[in-house]
Amino acid sequence: MTWTLRFAALSVQISRRALLAGLCLMALLLAAALLAVQTGSYPLSSGQMAAVLQGRGTGIEQMILLDHRLPRIAAALGAGAAFGLAGAMFQTMLRNPLAAPDVIGFNAGASCGALAAVILTGGMMLAGAIAGAALAAALVLLLSWKDGLAPGRLILTGIGASLTLTAAADLLVSRIDPQTASDMVTWLTGSLHSRGWGDAARVWAGLALLAPVLWRLHFPLARLAMDDGIATGLGLPVSGLRLAVAGAGIVLTALAVTAAGPLPFVAFAAGPIARRLVPGGKPALLAAAAAGALMTLLADTAARMVPGVQLPAGVFTALTGAPVLLWLLLAHFRKGTL
Amino acid sequence: MPDTARLRAEDLSAGYAGTPVLDSLTAAIPDGGLTAIVGPYACGKSTLLRTLARLQPAGRGQAVLDGKAIHRQSSRSVARRLAILPQTPAAPEGLTVRDLVARGRTPYQSALWQWSRQDAAAVARALELTNMTGHARRPLEALSGGQRQRAWIAMALAQETGILLLDEPTTYLDLPHQIELLKLVQRLNRETGRTVAMVLHDINLAARFASHMIALKDGRVFCQGPPAEVITEAVLHSVFQLPCRIIPDPLHGTPHVIPA
Ligand SMILES: Nc1ncnc2c1ncn2[C@@H]1O[C@H](COP(=O)(O)OP(=O)(O)OP(=O)(O)O)[C@@H](O)[C@H]1O
Ligand SMILES: [Mg+2]
Repeated sequence: MTWTLRFAALSVQISRRALLAGLCLMALLLAAALLAVQTGSYPLSSGQMAAVLQGRGTGIEQMILLDHRLPRIAAALGAGAAFGLAGAMFQTMLRNPLAAPDVIGFNAGASCGALAAVILTGGMMLAGAIAGAALAAALVLLLSWKDGLAPGRLILTGIGASLTLTAAADLLVSRIDPQTASDMVTWLTGSLHSRGWGDAARVWAGLALLAPVLWRLHFPLARLAMDDGIATGLGLPVSGLRLAVAGAGIVLTALAVTAAGPLPFVAFAAGPIARRLVPGGKPALLAAAAAGALMTLLADTAARMVPGVQLPAGVFTALTGAPVLLWLLLAHFRKGTL
Repeated sequence: MPDTARLRAEDLSAGYAGTPVLDSLTAAIPDGGLTAIVGPYACGKSTLLRTLARLQPAGRGQAVLDGKAIHRQSSRSVARRLAILPQTPAAPEGLTVRDLVARGRTPYQSALWQWSRQDAAAVARALELTNMTGHARRPLEALSGGQRQRAWIAMALAQETGILLLDEPTTYLDLPHQIELLKLVQRLNRETGRTVAMVLHDINLAARFASHMIALKDGRVFCQGPPAEVITEAVLHSVFQLPCRIIPDPLHGTPHVIPA
């Protein structure tokens, strides 16, 4: 069931299934956000929250809610959405569920780039992350490209690049002054620990700037998911589109990694979850963004709920995502498509 | 050789890295005709069709559509005049027949113009013509080979182009379905005046349905013309290395090959 909205010569299509899935995900996100605001080493009741929001809370409550929890949640949602979008875009464009930026080394490239930028300039993490992710993407795709991307070659090259770049990031951290280094080490495991409004604002501003581009790309991307011959036959500029999609995906990956570190498996799992919720062979970018945001927020909340230790959110996304990767690889093996 | 035809190959060489396939090939697809391209395996039939449709780069020479090199025209404007169905097209899982056919409207759409009334009408017409209206809601992978092939043809029809190129549309179909599909193509050609060119494996079917034939051998045109001129014992012997007799098809009068 699809609705068409018309205004003069313009027309936009909305499928009921996508709308339903979107609303469900929004409701889940809201519930997860409410849970995340209240839980933590200093639980806040709804009454306390209301008090703070009306400006009547105690100093400590005010600080916890406004300076710690809310920005952290906002950063988690933004980073998760960016991961989800990037994953779904690369997977759709390369027609390969394994081709997610976290699985094939783009996340690791982004973290290397961010660290290098910090060492060289003392800041500029986002610019460094973009450059790093772009270099990693170029490297992996060039090395594994031969008349298209065979899943096996892509996954092997990508994992190799990922391992190398992760090791390089560890090396780079050792070159940073000890004070920043400890923060960076937590960040490198994929963590939203001590994220502030600045981090949240950067990732959301990036998403807002990219939104029109993504909306514009969404339409041809669905057609690029067929083979190149079909896409060209339908009049799409295939190479230009690929470049645009890869560019947007790289910026999204860099935004997410800058905010949450190279959080594993969110980009990888969000796309397939979204496609399951919105079937019909569409890239389902909005649903992927929501799924990524939900995964990231839940993982970060879970990490904060474990008492006594500072666990990074990456532990929980890996715990849920890695089995899915294994399952997918096994499915590929069985079908003989690896 | 009508060098006024809308779609032509002029001294065209093309191929793949390290494998030249087409060798200075010159051919024209007659306007309003039903052209069958035949030839042995790997002689370059698909390469010719794909290069004519700008899916592959031309080396030397050029593919010409409406008087201009096709590779130098806007791909979107080409897609409104020429539709191609490649040999083994792939679609993402879960795509329904209607969504597939709707994608044929891509050259008329954009993010802001996603679904005009003309789009809806063209898709309905294409589904109707291919007898797929009843299957519109089914996902592609749930269809039989013949239905799937018709769905893909419906997508190409929804493009509403004057020229339609099909690469072996009858593969994987049993004889009754091959005939049904070729009759559909013939009807499209005759009733809507579309120019059709298709690669066909079965020489007898090609001879029966085509108005013009192009026989390829080793990336060159061996001969071309009406079926009666192309399907001769000498041509079959040199192109396919097939000793045979040719008799008139008792039902249609077209040349019929009986392998010796
Ligand atoms: N993607 C490719 N990369 C490299 N070589 C290719 C590619 N596709 C086809 N070839 C080679 O080009 C030659 C012509 O191929 P083409 O597909 O045009 O033949 P064909 O006449 O359509 O054969 P068939 O009847 O089997 O479909 C063959 O030798 C083939 O091996
Ligand atoms: Mg072929």
